[in-house]
Amino acid sequence: MWASIAWRLFWRELSRGELWVIAFALFLAVGSVVSLSGITEGVKSALLQRSAQFNAADKVLRSSQPFDEQLFTLAEQQYQLSTARQMQFDSMLFAGDAMQLATIKAVSSSYPLRGDLVLYRSELVTAGETAELKPGQVFFEARLFDLLGVNVGDEVELGLAKLQVGGVIVNEPDAPLSVFGGSPRVIMHLDDVPATEIVQPGSRIGYRYLFAGDTTSLAQFEAEVNDKLTVHQRWQKMDRESAIGGALERAERFLLLAGLLGIVLAACAAAVAASRYSQRHTQAVAVIKALGATTAQIRLIYGSHLLLVVLFSLLCGLVAGQLAIGAVQWGINLYMPDYRAEFSIRPLWLGTLTCVICALLFAARPMWRLSNTAAIEVLKQPAAQFVLDKLQWLTGAAAIWALMWLFSGELVLSIGLFLLCAGFAALLIATAAVIVRLVKPGAAGQASAPKLAIANLRRRLWANSFQLITFSLAIFLALLLYFLRAELIGQWQRQIPQGAPNQFLVNINQQQRTVLNNFAAEQQLQLDQYYPVVRGRLMSINDEQLQQEATKEDRSQQRVGVGRELNLTWLSALPKNNHILQGDWFAEGATAQVSVEEEIAERLELKLGDSLAFSIGGQQVSAVVSSIRKVDWNSLQPNFYMILSPDLLAEFPATFITAFYLPPEQNALLNQLARLLPTVSVISVDNIIAQVNDIIDQVTVALSFILLIICLAAALVLVAQVQATLEQREQELAILRTLGARYALLRNALLLEFALLGAMAGGFATILAELMLLLVQQRVFELPFTPHYSLWWMGPTLGIGMVTLLGWWQLRRLLSIPGAQLMRRVLQG
Amino acid sequence: MNTPEVHINAVRLAKSVKLTEGSLTILHDISLTINRGETVAIVGASGSGKSTLLSLLAGLDVPSRGEVHLAGQALHRLSEDERAAIRAEHVGFVFQSFLLLPSLTALENITLPAELAGVKDARERAMTLLAQVGLSERADFYPAQLSGGEQQRVAIARAFITRPAVLFADEPSANLDAATGQKIEDLLFRLNAEQGTTLVLVTHNDELARRCQRQYRMQAGRFIDTTTQDLADVG
Repeated sequence: MWASIAWRLFWRELSRGELWVIAFALFLAVGSVVSLSGITEGVKSALLQRSAQFNAADKVLRSSQPFDEQLFTLAEQQYQLSTARQMQFDSMLFAGDAMQLATIKAVSSSYPLRGDLVLYRSELVTAGETAELKPGQVFFEARLFDLLGVNVGDEVELGLAKLQVGGVIVNEPDAPLSVFGGSPRVIMHLDDVPATEIVQPGSRIGYRYLFAGDTTSLAQFEAEVNDKLTVHQRWQKMDRESAIGGALERAERFLLLAGLLGIVLAACAAAVAASRYSQRHTQAVAVIKALGATTAQIRLIYGSHLLLVVLFSLLCGLVAGQLAIGAVQWGINLYMPDYRAEFSIRPLWLGTLTCVICALLFAARPMWRLSNTAAIEVLKQPAAQFVLDKLQWLTGAAAIWALMWLFSGELVLSIGLFLLCAGFAALLIATAAVIVRLVKPGAAGQASAPKLAIANLRRRLWANSFQLITFSLAIFLALLLYFLRAELIGQWQRQIPQGAPNQFLVNINQQQRTVLNNFAAEQQLQLDQYYPVVRGRLMSINDEQLQQEATKEDRSQQRVGVGRELNLTWLSALPKNNHILQGDWFAEGATAQVSVEEEIAERLELKLGDSLAFSIGGQQVSAVVSSIRKVDWNSLQPNFYMILSPDLLAEFPATFITAFYLPPEQNALLNQLARLLPTVSVISVDNIIAQVNDIIDQVTVALSFILLIICLAAALVLVAQVQATLEQREQELAILRTLGARYALLRNALLLEFALLGAMAGGFATILAELMLLLVQQRVFELPFTPHYSLWWMGPTLGIGMVTLLGWWQLRRLLSIPGAQLMRRVLQG
Repeated sequence: MNTPEVHINAVRLAKSVKLTEGSLTILHDISLTINRGETVAIVGASGSGKSTLLSLLAGLDVPSRGEVHLAGQALHRLSEDERAAIRAEHVGFVFQSFLLLPSLTALENITLPAELAGVKDARERAMTLLAQVGLSERADFYPAQLSGGEQQRVAIARAFITRPAVLFADEPSANLDAATGQKIEDLLFRLNAEQGTTLVLVTHNDELARRCQRQYRMQAGRFIDTTTQDLADVG
């Protein structure tokens, strides 16, 4: 019985538009959660896949000890992962009388698992027949042919093995991106390693386990392996320190922050709409109860309405969110044709959970209250004023906190953020109360629009305070998002400005500088400054030999380069993107000083005044730590851990690094350069720049999408709020019209009331946005704070415009109803 | 002549409401007995407590003190839901402001109490009642599409659909013009007579009250006068 009544009422309520605001608010909340988390995951997965290509695998386990076969068996058999092996070591290569230290990489046949290894049967990377890595062969980095004086097909000796030169390495997916170059690189087959007899106890060899497969299996495998890792094994971090990793982390935090607040806004709209629905149906419920319905029957009838709305919104939200994810994945595919879109259940359950929280804590309370309406209410005049009860404030607040916890995943952070928001809300209400009380409607006399508007605001102060909070929040979000979006994109673009160097040249000797300068002048290339590089080893700190540190470093597998040879440079001026944290940069004529990068200083427990001894080309050089620097590793420029004062290194034979920008259409120039300077290595960072630009494009699309969601949610809150006051306004208008108030007076008073409310909301939003920009810029994005002057006119203007327009749009029909008709409507309830 | 069967019995009924400062007593020591099939008017000015008395007699509310029995059930001892069950079975209502559900058609508004009471032929009964109140052509109209008089006729049809033993009418013609009000009153008394329903009418209109067999006059929450009409005088 109740089902047929419920169903009939549901359809009528739908056609009367009563339930749509709740439905749309929930849809918006679910749709935005699903799409935001899905898009973030999509972009993240695209970046991980990119990063996997640069690592030749999805996951890389590094070890200083020989391969543990059990790990490969576990990965292959239990988790169906593909595997490959890699060994890396430095060794001398001999070809007749010539010899050269090289970095050798020995790989198994399945290498690489991600990305492409491109080898040519040629000495040049520009042309040749594609070759495959087979046992018995070695492939060289181009400059090694010249250094050893060999050609394809010649024989070289590596340890005790004789190997044939197979050709040149054109693309090595996991080649180090360091612009320092180091020794020339060689690739050989893993099966040939035993014959070389290079691997001896104590040999310094890096072992890498490469794994690839689906995300879930990889995660499970990693979790299982983590318990079994020895001190010699560790997972390789994927690009965290790169420009890409940093950009992604910022983007993800930003998306979640903006998304969360948008969802809270949508949930507020749902709460207001549900309260209004409940208030408008109080009398109907009283009538049905008077006619004999029990509370349980009412709960079934109206509970089923809420359930249907929730299910409908949830379904639509999930589908819309999934479509948005699909669109973004399609977009990523345009940039990355080999992108493997993965279906993730996480956005779907996150969306469902959000819907349940919003429905239970925001919308269920008014419905519950509705079902408890006493039958006696049938004899009472229905309340025209919209009110939120105390418990609903409490459940709403609990819901906001629950959502914060759900999205941040951090209890303490969510409590802190919630208390901050509650504090702001209280402050907002208090300030609004003070302002409205201070502004007096003026002396009694002829009615005027401002007087009426202020009187209205004062009378509805407490009802308005909720409106004010949500309006302010909505405008604040729109402003915050607009400004942060511009700033974020601007900052990224500044990081990689148009024309930033994209080709780095390393291993340039003193004579080659002249040749290079002439070549650059001829081709109109703008060369960056030359950074001198001398390789040296840190031997002791304050006369304490570094044996101990070196051992410790080995055990914890810290950054390669400390305890071994470091790239040392000397500069008289502090490089760009470097900031002194402690001490001072070299003064004019400073001698025997060194400036140390912050992280390495921390790792080696260095402080100002410590004395470091380096061994350079067999000579001992000592320097005192005079400053500790912070280095922006995201910047695409040569960065150094140790910069020595010029007096120390100027006499040592150095190689140089420089860089220049080459437009993609002029790539052929690189071949000319390779022929001209065969021992100089050219490292192109074009792909890194392209990758960062891709991310910027994708994140820009995501940000615009969030801005749209926020604007929709904000408009929805406004609509729900104004609708909630419709009955009361209708009554007031009826009385005023009956008493003879002119249309123009009522219209102006109404416009002014909304404009004042909008101005207050806009003003609060501006202050909040500026404060939040300050916080977010400094704490989250680590950017220096700059005031936003345009915010101060945009905020109030947006507030006045948005609130007035939406208010007017909804109430204009009410104003156009003739007085007599309006009175009849009010009297009929 | 048979002894008339007591249908509603109220004993020393009182109703107080809590205010921020103390409490306010709206009804004082009201006792009355209404027999099956009797028509009774409770008359008084606004604020005299007549609607409060109606709410207690109909089981919409419970007294602060005293007892009230309807169809043999002690309403003052029952829960809200138990009283709802009694209302569904025995009681019909006609309200001053009609109180039709705006999202249901005239026909659906009439069938609603019958459906709540689980009546099988609700639709047929509703169609018959619609014909009796002269609104057969308006069956699918929504309340907003009907005039005040038409809405009250639908409300009367709704009140009779469960064939209630008692009908409570709260100022049934107060929101209507005199001519329409007269028609509505005639309709109400005609259907009441046809179905032999006990009628409890709350009104401030003496003329309407005189159409009932007995009138209780109220002032400040007390009965001040009781009049019993000659049956011949009742129209």
